[in-house]
Amino acid sequence: MQENQEIKLTIDGKEVTAQPGQTVIQAAMDAGIYIPYLCYWPGMKPYGACRMCVVEVEGQRGTPASCTLPAANGMVVNTSPSEVEGLRNNILELLLSEHPHGCLTCHRIELCGPQDICLRHVRVTDRCVVCPKNERCELKDTVRYSNMNMETPLTYNYRNLPIHTNDPFYDRDYNLCIVCARCVRVCDEIRGDSAISLIERSGTVLVGTSHGSSLLESGCEFCGACVDVCPVGALVEREHKWDKALKTIPTTCTHCSVGCQVNLEVDSKGEVIRSIGNWEAKANIGQLCFKGKFGMEFINSKERIKSPLLKDENGYKEISWDEATNIIGKKLKNYSGDKFSLLLGPKVTNEDAYIAQKFSRIIMQSNNIDMATPYGDSLVRKLEESIGNMAGSGSLQELENSECAIVFNANITEQHNVAAIPLKKGRQQQTLNLIVIDPREVELTRYANIWLRPNPGTENLLLKGILSEIISNNWQDDEFINKNVTGFEELKDSINNINIDDISVLTGVPLEDISKTAESFASSFSSAILYSLDNIPSTQTTNTVELISNLTLVAGNLGKPYSGIFPLRSGTNEQGGMDVGCHPEFLPGYKSVSNKENIEYFENAWGTDNLPAHPGFKASDALTAMQSNTIQAAILIGDSPLYNDDAIHALSHLDFLVVQEMFLTDLASTADIILPMTSFAEQNGTYTNLERRIQKINLAVSPRGESRTPSQFINELANEMQSSIQFSNENPIDIFDEIKNIMDIYSQINIADLGNDGIQWPCNEESPNGTSIMYEKGFTNKKGILFSIDPEKAPLQSKEFPFLHIPGRILFDPNTDIEIVLSGRKNAISREEAIEFHPDDAKSLSIAPGDSVEISTPYSVKYGKARLTGTLKGAVSSTALFGELVTEMDKSSDLEPTLRLSTLDIMPARIKKIT
Amino acid sequence: MNKQFEILRQKATKRNEDLKSTVQIRVGLGICGESVGALEILNQLKDRIKSHDLSAVAYEVGCIGLCYAEPLVDIQKPGEPRIFFQNVTEDNIDEIIKLISENSNNFTGSVLGTLGGPSINGLPQIEEMTQWKYQTRIATRNCGTNNPNEILDYISTGGYEGLSKAISTMSPEEVRNEVATSGLRGRGGAAFPTAIKWGFLVNSPGPDKYILVNCEEGDPGAYNDKGILESDPHTLIEGAAIAGFATGANKGYVFIRHGHNGPIERTREGIKQAYEANLLGDNILGSDFSFELEVALVGESYVSGEETALMEAIEGKRAMPRSRPPFPAAVGVFGKPSNINNVKTLSYAPEIIRKGGEWFSGIGYGRSTGTAILCLNGNVKFPGMYEVAFGITIGQVVEKISGGAPEKWNGATLHRTVKLLQTGGPLGGVLGRESLETLLDFESMAAAGAILGSGGIIVGDDTVCAVDLVRNLVAFCQFESCGKCFPCRLGMTHLVEVLERISSGNGSPNDFKLMPIVGNAMAQGSLCGHGQLGFNPISSALRYFGEDFRIHIEENRCPTGSCIATFHRPTRTRPIASSGWYPGS
Repeated sequence: MQENQEIKLTIDGKEVTAQPGQTVIQAAMDAGIYIPYLCYWPGMKPYGACRMCVVEVEGQRGTPASCTLPAANGMVVNTSPSEVEGLRNNILELLLSEHPHGCLTCHRIELCGPQDICLRHVRVTDRCVVCPKNERCELKDTVRYSNMNMETPLTYNYRNLPIHTNDPFYDRDYNLCIVCARCVRVCDEIRGDSAISLIERSGTVLVGTSHGSSLLESGCEFCGACVDVCPVGALVEREHKWDKALKTIPTTCTHCSVGCQVNLEVDSKGEVIRSIGNWEAKANIGQLCFKGKFGMEFINSKERIKSPLLKDENGYKEISWDEATNIIGKKLKNYSGDKFSLLLGPKVTNEDAYIAQKFSRIIMQSNNIDMATPYGDSLVRKLEESIGNMAGSGSLQELENSECAIVFNANITEQHNVAAIPLKKGRQQQTLNLIVIDPREVELTRYANIWLRPNPGTENLLLKGILSEIISNNWQDDEFINKNVTGFEELKDSINNINIDDISVLTGVPLEDISKTAESFASSFSSAILYSLDNIPSTQTTNTVELISNLTLVAGNLGKPYSGIFPLRSGTNEQGGMDVGCHPEFLPGYKSVSNKENIEYFENAWGTDNLPAHPGFKASDALTAMQSNTIQAAILIGDSPLYNDDAIHALSHLDFLVVQEMFLTDLASTADIILPMTSFAEQNGTYTNLERRIQKINLAVSPRGESRTPSQFINELANEMQSSIQFSNENPIDIFDEIKNIMDIYSQINIADLGNDGIQWPCNEESPNGTSIMYEKGFTNKKGILFSIDPEKAPLQSKEFPFLHIPGRILFDPNTDIEIVLSGRKNAISREEAIEFHPDDAKSLSIAPGDSVEISTPYSVKYGKARLTGTLKGAVSSTALFGELVTEMDKSSDLEPTLRLSTLDIMPARIKKIT
Repeated sequence: MNKQFEILRQKATKRNEDLKSTVQIRVGLGICGESVGALEILNQLKDRIKSHDLSAVAYEVGCIGLCYAEPLVDIQKPGEPRIFFQNVTEDNIDEIIKLISENSNNFTGSVLGTLGGPSINGLPQIEEMTQWKYQTRIATRNCGTNNPNEILDYISTGGYEGLSKAISTMSPEEVRNEVATSGLRGRGGAAFPTAIKWGFLVNSPGPDKYILVNCEEGDPGAYNDKGILESDPHTLIEGAAIAGFATGANKGYVFIRHGHNGPIERTREGIKQAYEANLLGDNILGSDFSFELEVALVGESYVSGEETALMEAIEGKRAMPRSRPPFPAAVGVFGKPSNINNVKTLSYAPEIIRKGGEWFSGIGYGRSTGTAILCLNGNVKFPGMYEVAFGITIGQVVEKISGGAPEKWNGATLHRTVKLLQTGGPLGGVLGRESLETLLDFESMAAAGAILGSGGIIVGDDTVCAVDLVRNLVAFCQFESCGKCFPCRLGMTHLVEVLERISSGNGSPNDFKLMPIVGNAMAQGSLCGHGQLGFNPISSALRYFGEDFRIHIEENRCPTGSCIATFHRPTRTRPIASSGWYPGS
């Protein structure tokens, strides 16, 4: 196999080894040889436009571009003979003839600051020192490397185009654009969006949107990938536009459970000024989303709580940490046992979560400890029964190579944006059969090969239909089932009663689509299912997860590459929190509290003798228990989307509430004592993402005010309440050591080795390098379990609201007229909402196309023009644009706007025709 | 002989005999005829035939090549030669009808001559005219004679015999050998041996492989690809199918520039008829060989004629050249192995297979076998499309076939001489009068610094200013750059600005230095041929007509005066804010 052999070539007299398929520039970069380039970007296909990387190859004619030249055995490459250098300089001269470069020809370049008066009277638009990318500019670096004399016969021409500053988050100054098309390519090739494109041609070519429209209507998802790859100042983040970074700290993004690796840039004032995706990381391969790229400003907020606050009759007064712990310690002594609850927001680190659960269990004698997230463990609880682990089974970014993927009731492009990238890529390569199951029209439905749109409330029925199609057509993976699974015969029997035609009618999904989905999912070599529980009534969620687990097992989709089951956890570190024991039923490492051996093990390990041995309340149940005064005191650490108005009302019933938070939110203001918390950028620790990847977060900036990490606070509180023993360490590294000593699945992780890729648990003696694909050797000590099927539950509608309103949101919609209006100095979308009715419903309501209608749900009222294009009876749908969400985030007065962005909730609704 | 094909041929012969027994009126409806009102003439002729109840048929044919004489109408009575009326207007229609209804031979209108038989009434024979005499018509053999919308017409003149012969009696390798024997070389510009190119595709892995036919033809003054497609689309369709058979390709695209309506419609109609006759599609003529062919369109863009850009365009992307390697034979359209040939190249294939490679290699000169299809334009007497065997001089082509510089214009006698030639499209450069001695074949042309390229030859007489002409060529090249690679995008813009400056009398001696700096960066650094050759017009003009440039720069005047009247200046060479496409405007 000659193809797989390493290639040996000589670059600048140095022997270099290249991998097959590598180009010369890649081989050179790997060997530490610099070849200048402007349009090339590692991770994207070669483009060959800038011609900066031209080299000379002995025995070949001309000057090929090394970014498109495949490395070949015996090749002798010279990167900078004088002829090549001359050519490079000529092209650079051409480039500089339309790129402002006044400061490059100035002898004072090292001395001059942006505010200085220019002694040479270079126009302000031609100066480098006023460019936002000054000293981060790849063009400038290349010119300096080239050592060219800056005298040129070419006439300089400034484009004098208006700068685009009205769109959210980033500015576009095409006067500085060198048309390397990196942004266009990253948008198309990596993100699959194609929101921007090259426009015009020849000398007039530039980057732009279709018809010069605003980014809001162009299909831009504001991921900022284009900004990250721009070599010059054409695309820059608006916040901290001109700020210079003092240092760059790699860390893990805090906004969702994908766990993207970001590099945070910190300036001399100690503020986080930019976040840039880490291209070396396996979790996100350089990509971020609108939250991770543009949602980091909360760290620097002036509104952060700076010191502990005690509620008194005049509101809150500042107290010291010592006072606070003292008061809390005294108070809590009265609420020991089940009267106490500790709820953790999803952004706490593994270390903090571990310390918190330890405190609750040892000191407070309470198992009422949980991660506060909307779905909590209902998303995964059943997986522990069926396959043994409450976690995603594979690696997300590898799904690019899957043959089939089902996305079930998840608005993945908004909630777990970067997880959608491999799916979009697979679609683009036409190798992936993407199936989306969702009553809502979301961005991914437009990428789907098949979009199954069940009537809301019939999702489980649809899953049953798919399952029954697989089994009745014998598409299941018999080999896998015989080896690894029990309960198949029982399942088969319960399937017998299912009438697939009925299911098709009830769900409103064509039989053909159900069948195709079943065949593709079960027969493809690699299939994955990614699911959330959006809009599934809480009474049905257990059933849903059972069915999804069944589907995965029946199709034999575990233990092989590019396959698996992925619960899309809603909280950032929900996975890690539960791993380390933040769960009312599980001690660290998913050891059940009801098991006596487990209790003994942990009593030994923690040097205590009376751990509570009955399961506590889950977060959602705890809130109910607060209302009935069963729980009377609580500590809440970190905000969560779970804390809605109802929850906050429940919290108000508590005798004593401590909240540790960054901001004085509605949640915080219900507390008796508020404690300032560090943000993720102000502490060290680890997060575990939804694919079980343990990744480091690193201290980038010093804590604001007197903010402390949750573990610092809990530790002191513990020492206050039980001063006799040293409760735990404060240093996250020491805490992590404690965790790995008592938890098998983390046992071989060395925190110092957690690089860009992190490590996926189980990382124990069996698999010391972590486990990217679980269940490769079957299920460790038992067989996977299939669940039999339950009868169907009633659908959602009530009398008062006879219809359902199904909201949707997509990147762009060519079918409606959009107007971009200026509100303030920002672009905003103005358009008439289209409300889609099923023709039958419209008839019974005597609504004609184009009629104005009012849709009122218990929480909101919407107006729009009727369209009779709906496909679901008894439901109306309206589809918003992603641009509207982004505008909402951009203008939000919320202190942490990414936390509560509007989600797409299906609501019962009333319809009124407006005349 | 293939049985299915035999049936087709009998049908075709029958139809041909039926046609011959009646009076045929052919109206040239290539773009050359259409643009001077031939369609209206055809319609009126048809109306008159109906209203006079004549036993005659009037139908459209393509371009016979004598574009200067359009609208050309010819009448062929049973057993007689075709009589051509030139520059027909609606006033001549009555006379044409009268000739048929009264069966007379009284010509008063402007008759060009007769074709295909002995002279009538002492009319000149077209075969004897210099425009025709020097021609060897192979690819254009049916142009202007056959109804392009009628597959049987094509079959009756030997069409699809080559394909039938190839698939029923030859192996793909034998077909390739035959083409190798013929010495056929690519007519797209690079003159690469076609059989070797086909051989690359044979070695690429299947099953899906593509034959791509390039009819972008955006060169000003070139219309031979379009001419073939609108006059005789089946010769290309047959050629493409033969190429598919020879290479193992099963799919093909004929890529035509959007807006070339005649070629597009007639090729589509031709493909449809070929499918109906089982000459395309599954199991062609009952054999194992299947071949799909489709017309693909793209918006106007010169660069999409570049083979990799063409593939991008077929895929529906922006037409920008890809970097090579990988070469099209490995990774082509939709990532599949592909072979790209020009319309002209493939149009030779049917006759090569039918008559044998030996026959074809006997025509031409040296390694340039066969014919060149030339489009002669500019200051010549007889502009048109002519097919000549390689080996005559360019001077003969210009002076004899196209009649040299016109002697008369609007009645006034002119004393003009040929000053310059522009061959091979705008990138091909400008040649001086001395190049008239150059032999017309690939090697001699290359040695003289010219390329045959698309086959367009623009002749300029001594009233043409070289600077003005080059300014026009460079403005074209600048406008047509795709904007991908930096040297071409930026270099072209600078060059056009410099030439604007020179032609408007604002040039400086410094510009002599500047142009080669930019030009060399383009030639060495550009990604595709457009940029690599983009400096050719200027470098060749500087070589042959440096004096013109010197006078412009040093004396601030134009030697011919034509630069003063430059009415068409490019206004959009750089991004400007007032364009609706740029943000904020």
